[in-house]
Amino acid sequence: MKISTHWLRRYIDLNRTPEEVEEALTLIGFEVEGVETTGLPELPEVVVGEVLASEPHPNADRLSVCQVTVGDDGEPHTIVCGAKNYRVGDRVPVALPGAVLPGAFRIKESKLRGVRSSGMLCSAGELGLPGGEHGLLILENRPDVGSPINAVFPGGDVVYDVEITPNRPDCLSHIGIARELAAYFGLDLRYPQFRHALAPEDEDDDRLLDDVTVDAETDCPLYLAHTVRGVKIGPSPDWLREALLAVGLRPINNVVDITNFVLLELGQPLHAFDAAKIEGKKLVVRHAREGESIVTLDEKERSLSRSMLVIADANKPLVVAGVMGSMDAEVDDTTVDLVLESAYFRAGSIRRTSRRLGLSTDSSYRFERGVDPRGVRYAAQRALDLILEIAGGSVAGDEIQAGEEPVLEQEIELDFDYVRRRAGFDITDEIIQGILESLELQVSRRETSDMEVRWSVGVPSFRTDLEEPIDLVEEIVRVHGTDKIPESAVRSIGLEADDDFQVVFNRRAAEYLAGRHFHETYNYSLRSGDELGLWFSNAGVDALKLSNPLSADQSHLRWSLIPGLLDVLKLNRHRKTGGVRFFERGRTFRECDGEVLEVNSVAFVILNPPEIRFWKQREPADFYTAKNLVFNLARLAGIDLEAEEVTPVPMFNSAWQEGHSARAGDVSRGFEARMGLLSLPLLKAYDLEGIVIAGILEILPEKLAEPPARPVFEPLSAYPAAERDLALLAPREEPAENVRRKLAAAGEKAVGDKFRLEQVTPFDLYEGAGIPEDRKSLAFGLTFRAPDRTLTEDEVNAAFQVIQDELENEPAYRIRK
Amino acid sequence: MEDKLQAILDGAKRGAKEVVTRADLEAFKARLVGPKGELTQVAKGMGAVPKEDKPRLGRRLNEVKKEIEAVFGELLGEIEGRELADRLGPPIDPSLPSPDGRRGALHPLAQVREEICSIFRKIGFSVVEGPEVETEYYCFDALNTPSDHPARDLQDTYYLPENARFRNVSKKNRERYLLRTHTSSVQIRHMLKTKPPVRVVSPGRCFRRDTADATHSANFHQIEGLYVDEDVSVKDLKALLDYFIRSLLGKDARTRFRPHFFPYTEPSFEVDFSSSHLRKLGSRWIEIAGCGMVHPAVFDAVDYDREKYSGFAFGMGIERIAMILYGVDDIRYFYQNDLRFLQQFAR
Repeated sequence: MKISTHWLRRYIDLNRTPEEVEEALTLIGFEVEGVETTGLPELPEVVVGEVLASEPHPNADRLSVCQVTVGDDGEPHTIVCGAKNYRVGDRVPVALPGAVLPGAFRIKESKLRGVRSSGMLCSAGELGLPGGEHGLLILENRPDVGSPINAVFPGGDVVYDVEITPNRPDCLSHIGIARELAAYFGLDLRYPQFRHALAPEDEDDDRLLDDVTVDAETDCPLYLAHTVRGVKIGPSPDWLREALLAVGLRPINNVVDITNFVLLELGQPLHAFDAAKIEGKKLVVRHAREGESIVTLDEKERSLSRSMLVIADANKPLVVAGVMGSMDAEVDDTTVDLVLESAYFRAGSIRRTSRRLGLSTDSSYRFERGVDPRGVRYAAQRALDLILEIAGGSVAGDEIQAGEEPVLEQEIELDFDYVRRRAGFDITDEIIQGILESLELQVSRRETSDMEVRWSVGVPSFRTDLEEPIDLVEEIVRVHGTDKIPESAVRSIGLEADDDFQVVFNRRAAEYLAGRHFHETYNYSLRSGDELGLWFSNAGVDALKLSNPLSADQSHLRWSLIPGLLDVLKLNRHRKTGGVRFFERGRTFRECDGEVLEVNSVAFVILNPPEIRFWKQREPADFYTAKNLVFNLARLAGIDLEAEEVTPVPMFNSAWQEGHSARAGDVSRGFEARMGLLSLPLLKAYDLEGIVIAGILEILPEKLAEPPARPVFEPLSAYPAAERDLALLAPREEPAENVRRKLAAAGEKAVGDKFRLEQVTPFDLYEGAGIPEDRKSLAFGLTFRAPDRTLTEDEVNAAFQVIQDELENEPAYRIRK
Repeated sequence: MEDKLQAILDGAKRGAKEVVTRADLEAFKARLVGPKGELTQVAKGMGAVPKEDKPRLGRRLNEVKKEIEAVFGELLGEIEGRELADRLGPPIDPSLPSPDGRRGALHPLAQVREEICSIFRKIGFSVVEGPEVETEYYCFDALNTPSDHPARDLQDTYYLPENARFRNVSKKNRERYLLRTHTSSVQIRHMLKTKPPVRVVSPGRCFRRDTADATHSANFHQIEGLYVDEDVSVKDLKALLDYFIRSLLGKDARTRFRPHFFPYTEPSFEVDFSSSHLRKLGSRWIEIAGCGMVHPAVFDAVDYDREKYSGFAFGMGIERIAMILYGVDDIRYFYQNDLRFLQQFAR
């Protein structure tokens, strides 16, 4: 809200600099978003001068050299000037050396093209006044030579653009802000005084308005109508026009301007009707009827719905209550008789209507935050007084009241020790009482029979934000000054709590990947439904859709981190940054049997571009690069993917290249990993050249609640290991891990509890010449060891033989010897 | 005999120059010390030497033997050196860059988040996380936000359809799912499963239905803190934020509390800082956080005794702080992930 200093001075003696006022507003909770100065700023070194002589500049055609007197006893000042619009004898503003003009332009004695110039003759623009930059400001009314320019032009206004938080509707007015400043600076607050008797002069049979009915008491608890006869509509006086212009309002006519003035002065919206346009001499406050519409003052036809409150006459709605009037009842140049509305509408009703119409006005803004019911009558009277003063006329009848004033005053019991405890520092009873009273709260002190002091605070109706003792603590801390909160040491007591394990896991995962040359990226969580359909099943599309997306490309929750990472690869390839390894961690959303799971994900991508231009090349990343990374990531979460079945990615997930990708786990059971090459057709559709190796590990947050158990030490055998190699032919389609597990199982059986088969490691894979087409050759290294002795050749050979015999029994395998 | 030994030695030294390969060395050895080698022959002749000359000649023989063996050793060393050099190839050019690339880096927003978390860990806070999809109850109701508060508006908050079902995000009643607008919801969930004292920070991603521009992003990150105990005061809140801001922005940083309004705290403040440290920003006051004393109504919602406990909460935008710390002037850089940008924060 715009707050004018001139305006504030009607209610408080504000003798502070604009900087002090700005700081005060900020420190009591009203952020100042801008300060505007109108009129002439303070210009101490600028005075009225008279041009005594003017000659052409010896070295510059466009300049002239003037002799100017500023009324002091010394020699006339020699000043070089570029303007042409003056004559000798004219009086003009002179900026003397030392003056600082708007824009921090400092005037110094200087040489201009070889002629010393001591000062500057000024244009209107140079002084910060409206008007041209060209030509001197000729002071036609010939003020005294030497008088300060600020004496010639009355001081300007300083207007603060103040942010009013939603809990303080009382401060959507100059009186409200004045009250706050008065409390902070310790000033007295003056309310406007009335000059006219507001009772009808004589009883008039021919009333302007017979009746006001409220058919919607809940939405309109109180409605007051005043009538004025014989006003003269015309332009407002200068003071009123200036007051409105200062805060950015366009003056319209005296009556409308007065209602606007009172709105900005007291915060109570008013509405003036042309009495002649009210049909049937009655006003009805009711909800709109089905099919009704209204042409509001902004000349838009608006269809009304039944939840909207209107003020109607006998036939039609005239005003969207609390929001905007219609063309039908507007006060215009022909208006003679007035009906003045002042009402208390329920905040929620006005807010809903304003939203539905997409129409927010100064009036609706105040009603929807809550006006002061106690102020309804006062504001009407204030406006009435101003109308009689400015537009003339006479009060035409008694006030008509419909409904009752809601009682919003309340009493809060306040323990001053509670205030000190919550503040954490000492504030005396006197200060507390003084602050509360300066905000117009009624403080009363009483002593109980056992001599205890009890305080009670009466809260006026305009402070509905004050409901309980803690709210009063805020008032006290705020007005006392937050700069008075003493410095102290941090309270720090050890708690038996650790970071959530998911926080720990995510941090470790990021550090691991950064150490493996990946850069972390942040991508948006919202993606398009089309993309989701392309990558994933269509079933997921609906489950992840927002009900109110802002745009089609951000309409769904992300189901995977991979699409965002592909965007990153694409951008970096396009910009030729050389970036090919990226990762992201974040929440993703997986659709599962019609339900959605929020998942903690980590994913990475590696682009193997079609060409690598570097003096030395490494083996390019492949499926096993991704597998290694994903398995290591899982280990950081305490998940052993080795124990999981690694299977092809299900076909509905078209993101992955068949035959070159795999998954382990299932997110509906807690975690899932996918890894390998991304689908080549998909990359092509994505316009990304090259091969992309990717991996993603998804874990339900609830599975990351606890850190993995602490490991338990197992003693190491101090004896040497015995190694044997075993090669066999297995069906080509059979996963090597299957064979390895069978081998390991056979080994366990063969060694029994006598010693151990520590490792079974694949070391060779061969397919092709010399081997049947449907077979492959696999070779494994076996490591045996005993905990307590060196193994003999014989016992190792015996066990190895048992293993071979066991596998020979499997018809699918043939041992190669 | 002495002359003969000398001649053998001289011959060996000359012959050594011809030895290049291991085979050369073997042949060379055989010529000198093999069964029929020159030196072997001389040694065999020792028997015929007069008794009085024996000690002297024997000594001399040993000397020559040692010298010749030293020559063998030297030759072997040279040969091994050559073989090794052949295996390693020519010497490398140490000025060429490694093909392995640089170490990666955490995203600048992640680094700032971590830095902030560390500052709070030092004074006994732990880090907690919660779901990004939230419900109206945890995001608004439990935080004393009235049902008609503008923050809940469809204009400002993303909602999920009425029939949406999130298996691992619990609802209080039958309220709607939404994308959380702050991480205060995490504090509610945390308080519901913990008894005071509480000291946590909850960083995370938040959403507001905003059109993206230089200072707004479709999603952004916040970190919020909560402290609940007996007799916690505004003074304690100020002390904590003073500590935090000095830790983050340098010892000369100053803070200012501006009264403000949030539904879930009372009193509420916005926090400004100024620091000569950030020269670009001069000594202006710059808004950095919001905070306040936890509203008693919030304690009611999580079943904490509002008479017994008090506490404070604070929150700040991670993007905003990163922009201040690094001098980034457009929030969109954080979401473009241009390597040239990301690498600037690699440490």
